Amino acid sequence: MMQSSPFTPRRVVIWIGRLVLAAIFIYAGYSKIFLPIVHPHPPVGVALSFFAMQVDSYQILPPWGVNIVAHTLPFAEVALGLLLLIGWRLRIWATVITLIMLGFFVAVVRSYALGLQINCGCFANPEPLTKWTVIRDGLLTALALVMSVFAYQEARAPHPWSAPEKS
Amino acid sequence: MEVFSDFQCPACKTLYLATNRALMDNYVSSGKVYLIHRDFPLPMHAHSRVAARYARAAAQIGKGEAAEQALFQNQEKWKQSGDVDGTVAAALSSADMTKVRSLVKLGTLEPLIDKDYSLGQTYHVNQTPTTVFHCKGQTYPYAGVMSYEILRQFLDQLLSQK
Repeated sequence: MMQSSPFTPRRVVIWIGRLVLAAIFIYAGYSKIFLPIVHPHPPVGVALSFFAMQVDSYQILPPWGVNIVAHTLPFAEVALGLLLLIGWRLRIWATVITLIMLGFFVAVVRSYALGLQINCGCFANPEPLTKWTVIRDGLLTALALVMSVFAYQEARAPHPWSAPEKS
Repeated sequence: MEVFSDFQCPACKTLYLATNRALMDNYVSSGKVYLIHRDFPLPMHAHSRVAARYARAAAQIGKGEAAEQALFQNQEKWKQSGDVDGTVAAALSSADMTKVRSLVKLGTLEPLIDKDYSLGQTYHVNQTPTTVFHCKGQTYPYAGVMSYEILRQFLDQLLSQK
């Protein structure tokens, strides 16, 4: 009889990371592309231009950099969220998501430290950037980091269904 | 476009000087965009309500833009000294300033400032500057400063909507 995969804490953390971060990335990307808070819904071009203003409010990038981020990030978020959910080449996409989360975290901490009165721009809703945003982003970045490390460790461990090594 | 602004807030000054003046020259004067200044004096700023009173009084005699410019450009000076009167007086003629002072003393401007503040609360404004864009029945609330270049792109996208 085939044995089921052992339910180790490491695998539980990977699954939690995949589900939580995939849901957040997919929703974050969707909300930037379609702006569900605005009625009637605006065209995608308007929604992305509005997101460009949110990126610009962080005062980190020049206008051309703002445009690149604003017109690629929402689609990348949806794609990465789906890849994380599917689990295909998990280590690669988990690493990419961790690097993106680290980038978000640095931007949020910098803006909070500078006292910029801006919205987070994380989702469609106008959410002010507060210490809670910093804490939330920190926790999600930590989750992404742990998930990536565990995914690498898991890949090195022998698969529970594989045949025992011959001595 | 409704801009909820506080005359004593440094970010509001940046938005006015770096973005909204260019916006007025290129979009407002040509009639493409209608820009409304809304007073949202934050309680933590000691002189912002007084500044709002003077700016409103100046607006009532057609000198709102001159007063607004003087208040933002000299923000560092009057926020230390509290000399809002002197700051506005330097930008207006003595005859205009007499009218402004009498309007400020009347006390009729206070309900108008409170009305703007209440309107901001209905839009969930909790920081300044907050800009609320309205176009074709859509409402876009935006907090913070944006560069003119990026704002221009957004406005062009909004105006090209069918």
